[in-house]
Amino acid sequence: MENQTQAWIVKEDEAEKASNAYLMSLIAIIAGLPLPIINLIATLIFYLGNRKGTYFIRWHCLQALLSQLSLLFANSYGFWWTIYIIFGSDHLSSNYFAYIFTLIIFNVVEFIATIYTAIQTRKGKHVRWFLYADICDLLCKK
Amino acid sequence: MKILSQIFLMLVLFFGCIFLLQKVDWMSLLNINQVSKSSEEKLGDTIWEYIKNDAKEIENKGLSEPIDSLIQKICGANDIDANQLKVHLIYNNEVNAFALPNNHLVVYTGLILAAENEGEICGVLGHEIAHIELKHVMKKLVKEMGLSILLSLASGSGNGDKLKEAIKYLSSSAYDRTLEREADLKSVKYMQKAKIDVEQYAAFLYRLGSDEPEAMKYLSWVSTHPDSRERANYILAQRGMGKIKCQAVLGPQSLQQMKDLIEGINN
Repeated sequence: MENQTQAWIVKEDEAEKASNAYLMSLIAIIAGLPLPIINLIATLIFYLGNRKGTYFIRWHCLQALLSQLSLLFANSYGFWWTIYIIFGSDHLSSNYFAYIFTLIIFNVVEFIATIYTAIQTRKGKHVRWFLYADICDLLCKK
Repeated sequence: MKILSQIFLMLVLFFGCIFLLQKVDWMSLLNINQVSKSSEEKLGDTIWEYIKNDAKEIENKGLSEPIDSLIQKICGANDIDANQLKVHLIYNNEVNAFALPNNHLVVYTGLILAAENEGEICGVLGHEIAHIELKHVMKKLVKEMGLSILLSLASGSGNGDKLKEAIKYLSSSAYDRTLEREADLKSVKYMQKAKIDVEQYAAFLYRLGSDEPEAMKYLSWVSTHPDSRERANYILAQRGMGKIKCQAVLGPQSLQQMKDLIEGINN
């Protein structure tokens, strides 16, 4: 993750909307637990609602959306594995705990990164995440 | 290219993390008491001993051998070690069969009397073997009774009432719907691989499911399981349209001989 100074000036309302994209995913994580799809839907709706916004807003909405998307698959797998243990014929195992703890680590890292990015974006700073920022550069047209 | 290498790096990080965490024995570290194999063995044997004291076990070879040959056929075709199953034939008019911990499989003579062909018996046996193979038995007991009670029963310090309760859960109440369906579908697979007519099993469920309420008191296996007709429908759906050339093990005459033997014990 890097904090970049951009060439353009970010207006107050732009910074607020871009920051809200990250906040939206945080609120949805809390509201939507344990269903991992809820936060993705929330950020997707927010992204679609701001499709016509400025480049700064669109770029950050997209970064928030992509960050949710990548963890969705891993979280869904963990969710259905847990359901299968509770209601199906699988048992608790060290492999299960290894997977769940990995998920927790990645989710916590993402959660902290999201809070940090929301704060920095609110100040008008352009925070670029590893991998997602480059994808956003490709997908988001100026 | 840069993005691809970053994706690769992320995947290595994710799976590397799982790989490293897998090296830790979390089950011991978190002190998770799953029922050990030896506890399950003791529990199964204790429950069986309790049932045996009250019931009349049949050791007549004319009855046990045909049942064994059906089990051999199902297990042989499905890579299941038939020797691990401890099959017990109990004289009882109820149409019932159930699995106990430690691979005990109890079959009531009422099931043989109610069956019109070997496919019907095989369907029920396959269903119970599926419960054993899918480890449903302990799962159900843990869910219904709690781990601590089971462990105390396994160590021999539990009381008789709890043992009766465990037997009641296993012999006269169904598993939850998902587990029952799983066992049914597994039974269909077993039967197909063993070249046993699945339709006969479905017909058995239809027939017993539509019996008069008065007769239901003898139909434990059917009355305690969820909607028999619905089960028959999904069993037929699972079987598919493909025709399998079935191979009988017993034949109608052998089945009739078994029924005569049971009637003989009755008289």
